[in-house]
Formats: sequence, structure tokens, C-alpha cells
Amino acid sequence: MQLLPEIILIFFILITLVLSFTLKKERINLIVWLSVSGIILSLVSIGFTSQGEAFYGTFVSNSYVNIFRAIILPGTLITLFLSKHYIKSTGEFYFFLLTATLGAMLLCGANDLVMLFIALETLSISSFILAGYAKHDKLSNEAALKYLVFGAASTGVMLFGFSFIYGITAETNLSLISAYLGGYEVNYILIIAFLLMLAGFGFKISAVPFHSWAPDVYEGAPLPVAAYLSVVSKAAGFAILMRFLGMLFPDTLLFSIIIATVAAITMTLGNLAALGQQNIRRLMAYSSVAHAGYLLMGLAVMTYKGMTAVIFYLVTYLFMNFGVWAAIEIFSAITGRENVDDYRGLSYKHRYFTLGLALCLLSLAGIPFTAGFFSKFYLFTTVAVAGYKYMPLLVIGLANTAIALFYYMRIVKALYVTPPDKTQYIDFKKSPFALKAILTATVAGVVLIGIFASPVIEFIVRNA
Amino acid sequence: MELLSLSFLIFLPLIGAIILFGPWFPQNEVKIRRFAKGFAGLVFIYSLFFIAFFDPIKKGFQFEETVPWITPLGINYSVAIDGISIILVVLTAFLVLLAVIASKYSITKRHKLYYSLILILETAILGVFTAKDLFLFLLFWEIELIPMYFLIAIWGTGRKEYSAMKFILYTFAGSIFMIAAILGIVFYNLTKTGALTFDLNTYTYMKSLAYPTELGILAFIGFFLAFAVKLPVVPFHTWLPDAHVDAPTPVSMLLAGILLKMGGYGLIRMNLQILPEILGILAPIIVVLGVINIIYAAIVALAQTDLKKLVAYSSVSHMGIVLLGIGAMNAAGVSGAVFQMAAHGVISAGLFMVVGVIYLRTHTREIEQLGGLGQNASRIMYLAMVIALGSLGLPLLMGFAAETLAFYGAFISNTEYIQVMTVIAAVGVIFTAAYILWMFQRVFFGNIFEKWRHFHDATPHELVILISLVLVIVVFGVNPGGLTDIFGPTVENLMALGV
Repeated sequence: MQLLPEIILIFFILITLVLSFTLKKERINLIVWLSVSGIILSLVSIGFTSQGEAFYGTFVSNSYVNIFRAIILPGTLITLFLSKHYIKSTGEFYFFLLTATLGAMLLCGANDLVMLFIALETLSISSFILAGYAKHDKLSNEAALKYLVFGAASTGVMLFGFSFIYGITAETNLSLISAYLGGYEVNYILIIAFLLMLAGFGFKISAVPFHSWAPDVYEGAPLPVAAYLSVVSKAAGFAILMRFLGMLFPDTLLFSIIIATVAAITMTLGNLAALGQQNIRRLMAYSSVAHAGYLLMGLAVMTYKGMTAVIFYLVTYLFMNFGVWAAIEIFSAITGRENVDDYRGLSYKHRYFTLGLALCLLSLAGIPFTAGFFSKFYLFTTVAVAGYKYMPLLVIGLANTAIALFYYMRIVKALYVTPPDKTQYIDFKKSPFALKAILTATVAGVVLIGIFASPVIEFIVRNA
Repeated sequence: MELLSLSFLIFLPLIGAIILFGPWFPQNEVKIRRFAKGFAGLVFIYSLFFIAFFDPIKKGFQFEETVPWITPLGINYSVAIDGISIILVVLTAFLVLLAVIASKYSITKRHKLYYSLILILETAILGVFTAKDLFLFLLFWEIELIPMYFLIAIWGTGRKEYSAMKFILYTFAGSIFMIAAILGIVFYNLTKTGALTFDLNTYTYMKSLAYPTELGILAFIGFFLAFAVKLPVVPFHTWLPDAHVDAPTPVSMLLAGILLKMGGYGLIRMNLQILPEILGILAPIIVVLGVINIIYAAIVALAQTDLKKLVAYSSVSHMGIVLLGIGAMNAAGVSGAVFQMAAHGVISAGLFMVVGVIYLRTHTREIEQLGGLGQNASRIMYLAMVIALGSLGLPLLMGFAAETLAFYGAFISNTEYIQVMTVIAAVGVIFTAAYILWMFQRVFFGNIFEKWRHFHDATPHELVILISLVLVIVVFGVNPGGLTDIFGPTVENLMALGV
């Protein structure tokens, strides 16, 4: 069974769907626990999944796909716990969340243009609905609409690119296309196709210039959804983009330069825009744009090492980003505030909460003894050893980490340095156990990977 | 595990910090300080054992401990010391202990966090001085930023947040050039030998590669920028007066006493040892920068009205001598640079301590506002006098030995135009004498103002700190051989390797 995790997930999706109409509101917790067990079962079943192609080669399951399944499923699990207290009214939310996850997982292993498109749409359409889930909230509506319009447009453009590929090769299967393109001279049609498809993937991973939905969606969408989009959806986007590039356009300097340019622009713009943000969710949105830029660096070098660096980065990003989002949710659930200034002096009273948040932020900034430092260093090393021609990219990336430090430190400064405003009256005792557990777990992940990075990297290098 | 374990020395302060920060430790100010003092003392005593068992004649690193860490990247956890680093390790342990003692009066809030951060800072700095792996060096180098940022931003005075942010951004911006340089030389080594390694030995003591000039110069500049910010070298020095002035006294002591030495240590360890042939090309520029440091900072110091700013600029000026010594490219010059780092570490900590003692009583640092303090506080005055005279390089004090060695090395050096530069630099020493003596006269001599008539003499805590600093200044001033015997062979060995 190559699709075992997906099939288990579908099974649970159907149960969730039925239950969400039949269950009474008070018993909505059942759906949450059902979804959780579905995800866990699916996660366990990765170990029993056989490798190879399925459905006449439209889907492929291998260790590479397994690694991404193992990133996406825990990400969803964390999102479920984040949503448990945030989404109180209905059960459909979990149905859409699981469906989006299904789309993301299928996207990682898609081996056919049609399959790829369907998986992408499954993920996207569910995400649109999730983003607009708080239907009485104006911002949420705006977010959903913006996301939908951008999403629809970019998928359309991507489909256009697919049609060029089909026109050149008369195939939809990626392996066959790859074999055909192996002996194909790069000409302008291929370049146009490449650029058009980059638009579609660029939207998913929020690369500049397809990033402008990100700040509004991250600010307006329900908080767990924003967290979900910033990690899981992005991981799926990178999974397929990497496979796609690796199979179809290996070792072409021109494409490498294009991606490097996009990477440089993405991180620079993301970081610069984040500098002035007051709202912490918008700040995290731009930070996630900037991180997409770092990740694209690993793609740009188009080496095997670069690929492992991207995967490792995504693993660490899963921990540190969810950590920050969990902390934001704990804070805003009690105070209802989302500005950086509202976090002033939090460390005076809530020592361990602030320590956790600060560690995750410093990890995002790439300060040592956190996972973020290692993933950045590994990424930069792979860029450096790819050759001298990538030196400018390396320097831009390094300069960006210096810019990024400024805005992460701004939050840390608000936490530790500024004297308490009103935060000393905040009582975190009321905040749900699940959120605290998530924060603890992610911080533990950040610190543990920060010290024992080697086994994780080795595992990825062996399996990717 | 052996009884003398460098890793244990490095992480001992961190263990202390964890014990201190945890919920199990009582929120009692006195207990916290006592514990921190005890731990810092423990680290200092433990570090002395390393000097006792250190064999100066032996070539290369000693007390080495290596554990494979991130094998896919060829990164080891590897620590070791040679003659240069052991001096700085002991200096670090010594000054941290004094800084913890000095914190009694100047730190009045959030004690738990403060002492934890000081101890974490100690771990980071010890790590920088002992790292035998480029990656580990980088890692400790960047860890150091975070505690220092908080120490300035939370317990400082004046524009503390601005200064702390400036400090962290300057240093971080500098260190990204170092990352680029490290990756550059590691990649070059990979292409030539096929081995991906960050081991410092491969690049220094067992160095077999000569880098192509363009790559070498780029890597050299990368390293140099990182260390130039830290040292600081004049165009990159603007963070230093801000950070020093706004930091609390014990933190200023650490900042001037140890953190600046990280820059000098980096220059000797990376620029001199990894890229000696490039240093040979660029030495005249280094020397010129050093002379600019000495003269410019001395002149700026003359114009200061703020006592602490004056001391801060004197630090910049003194660090110019380190540059001059390194630029001389011979054993005497580099020895002078190392000696100057140790001497300045002790002397500048002493000067900042004196400034802190005065500020604590008067709450002003304007030299105009002070005067005649010697009438009330003779003990402070005499101890401060020894420190100040050490700073301007009076014979038989520590600063003199350092400057003489560095100037001698510079004068016999083969670097172009260095003799002219040395003469100009020697003029700078006159400026140093001028601003130190003028400052001292204005602060301590004359008649005391009516408003300071309650100015009282040193407390036992302050006496302990000042006397121990003065003892070090005098002992190694009278007997500089005690210090040069430890690092001299290492430096000569370095120079013989192919500079």
C-alpha cells in the first residue's frame, strides 16, 4: 500500500464529516479527539507504507515523500491542539483541516501534472475556507477573499505553464516528462513554462512577488489557520517544488539564477517589511515570507545537499514557528491583543512563558543553541560548498539574518527590557493545558535539535 | 574523564546559571549573590589549575577534548587551549568574579536573571577562547551577544535600549562576514583536499594550504570586519562609547576587560594563524589603522567631559596597540599584543570600577562636577592612581611592559613604513598621559565641593576588587616574565610556522 497514510486519513475525514452534522454542540470534543487519533494513526502507518508508484504512476511514495508526510502530519497535529480552544462552534473546521492535510500529503507525492493540480486545489480550497472560517469577523472575510483571488489567479497561471509542458512533451507523467526533457535544449518556451509554474508554487510558499496575500491572511484568518498556512502549507509547497525542479529542470544554470534571484528578493523584502510591523501576526507573516526566501536558497543551488538542508530547515521551522504561534495564541486568548507593545514587561511575572517565546524567536533569528542556528548554518554551508558562483547569494542571505535579528530582538526587548505596562495582571493560569503543552513541546524541540542536530541531519541525508 | 576538563570549566558557569534561574532557588537577594560569587570563585580557582598544569614549551593545543558532533558537516565539539588562550581564560574567570562582587551596589533589581546572565556570559566567553573548531567558535561568539544585550538593556542607565541594540546589531553584522569567511576557507579546503572539516588545527598549526590571493584577501577582510567591530577599530567603534557608558559598572568591566579581547584574540587566532601570507600583504594597512586608533581615540578622550566616556575612548586607544603589535608580524610584536590584551583587561576593568565607585556616591559622571575627592577618600585615590598610571604606561606597571614590547616589536619589524608609524604612535602615548593625568587631577585633587562632603571612602567590597586589580597590575609589571613565559613559546612557535 503506497497510499496507506492517505487512505487512513480519508477514512477519518469521512467520519468527521458525518459526525460534524450529527453530533450535538457539547460533544464537539469527540471530533477533535477523533481527528487527533486519525492523524496519529496515519503518522504511525508511514512506517508500514510500501514504496513505489500507485494509480498508474500518478502518485509515488518513497522515503522523500515519507519525510514530508512526517513533517505535515505533526504540523497538523499541533494545529488541531491550537484549534481545540479557538474554534468552539462547529465541527466542520476539523473536516476542512484534515482535507487540507490530505491535499498537502498528496501534493508531496504527486507524480503527474493532473494529480499535482488536484492535490494543490484540495489544499488550496480547504485553506480558503479555513481562512474565512470566522465568518462574523471582517478581517477574516477579507483574508479569505484575498487568498481566494490570489490563489485562483496563480493556479490559473500555473495551469497555463503546465499546458506548455504538455505541448512540448505530450505527457502528463512527471517521470516521462523528465525523461523527455533530459535531451531537450532549453529554449524560450521552456523558460516561459518554468516562470509560469513558478508563479503557482511561489504563491503556496509565499515567495515575492506572490506573497502579498500573506500579511492579510495571517492577520485575519483564525490563528491556528495562520499557523497552519505558515508551516504545513509551505512545507507541502516546498516538497513538490523541490521534486518538480529536481526532476524536470536539473542542473540548469539559468533556472538556478532565476530561483536565486527570487530567493534574494523574497528574503530581503520580507525582512525589510517586517521591520516596521506593529501587529505581531503581520510581523510573523513577513518573517515567514523571509524564511521562504532562505529556503529557496537551498533550492537555488540545486544540489542534493541543498535539498537536505531545505528539509532540515523545514523540520526546525516546524518547531520554532509553531512555538511562536502557540505563544501568540496563549497571549491573545487572554488579553485579546496582538501588538508587539502589548507584550511589554511580560517577563516580570511570567518567567517560563516568556523564556519559551524568546527561545523560539531567537531560534527564528538564528541565535546559537537553538535549532534555528543549525538549520541556517547548514543551509549557508550547502550554499557555500555549491561553488563560488553562489557567493553573492550567500552574502545576501547572511546580511538578511542581521536585518531579521533586529525585529525579533524588538519583541524580545518588549518582553524582557521594557518595564511592565499592564501585563503583570495577566493570568495565564486560565489558559488551556493543550496550548501550554504545545509551547513546551516545541520549545523542547527547538532546544534539543539545537544541541543534538546531528542525528536529525543524518537521518535526512540518509533518506531524502 | 580527567580531573582537569576544559568542557567542565566552560559549562560550570552554565550549570550555576541553571541552578540559579530555576524555581527551586530562593528569591533572596543575599543568597543569590552569595551563590553567584561562590560559583564564579569556583570557576576562577578551577581555571588556575589549568595554568599550573599547562606546559608552555609544548607545541600546539593542550587539554584537548574532541567529540564528533555534526558528522555530516565535519563539525566536532572540540576545545583546547594554547599559551594565548589560557591567559585570556584565566583573565575571564578573574574578571567575572570581580564583576560579580562589584554587582553588590550597582544592581538593585531582578537579581536572579542578572546573575544567571553573567554566568551564561562567562560560559560563552570561555567557549570563544577555548574553541578548537571554527563552528564552535562561531557558535560561542554569537551566544555571547544575547546575555550582553540584556545586561546592558535591563540594568543600564541612560539610552540603554538604544545602546544595547546598537551593540548587538554591530556585532552581529560583523559576525556574518566571519561566517562568510569561514565558509569560504572551509570550501577551499574541501575542493583541495576533499575533506569537509571545521577543525582549527587543520587551518592553523597543521596548515598545509596557501590560499589564492583573491580568496585569501576576501576571507581576511571577512574575519577582520568581525573582529574590528569587537576590538574595536576606529570606523567601527561607535557602538563602544554608547554601550560602555550606558552599561552598569560590572558589565562595563566585563565589556572592556574581556569582550574587547575577543576581537584581539580572533585577529591572532584567525587572521594571523589562518592567513599569515595575506597578513603579510595587508600588514601596513593594519598598522595604519592601529595608529589611527591610538591617536584618534586619545584626542577624542581629551575632549570628553563624561568620565566614563573618557575611559571608554581610552580603551579604543589602547586597543590600537594590539593592532600595531599584530601588524608588526614578529614574535615581539605579537607578544606585545597579547600582553597588552591582558594588561588592558585588568587596567580598564579597574578604571571602570573607579568610575563606578564615584558614580555610586555622586550620581554624576561629569568631570566638571567632581573634584577633590581625594580629600575624603584617600584609599580610593591611591588605588585609582596606580590603575591610572598603569593605563598611561608607567614603568614597573603592567601597561608599560605591554606597550614597550609592542613598540619594540613594531620598531624591529619588516613591515613597510612601520617605523614611521611607531614614532607617530609613540606620540599618541603622550596624549594618553595627558588625558589620564588631567582627568585624575580634576577628579581627585583640589578642594572638595560642599555637596560631596558625605563622599565616603571605599567599602570592603570595593577595596577587595581594587586591591586585587592593583596587585595584578604591580606583580606583572615588576615581573612581566611571569606572563610572557606562559604565552611566549606559543607565540614564537606561531611565528616560526610560516609567517
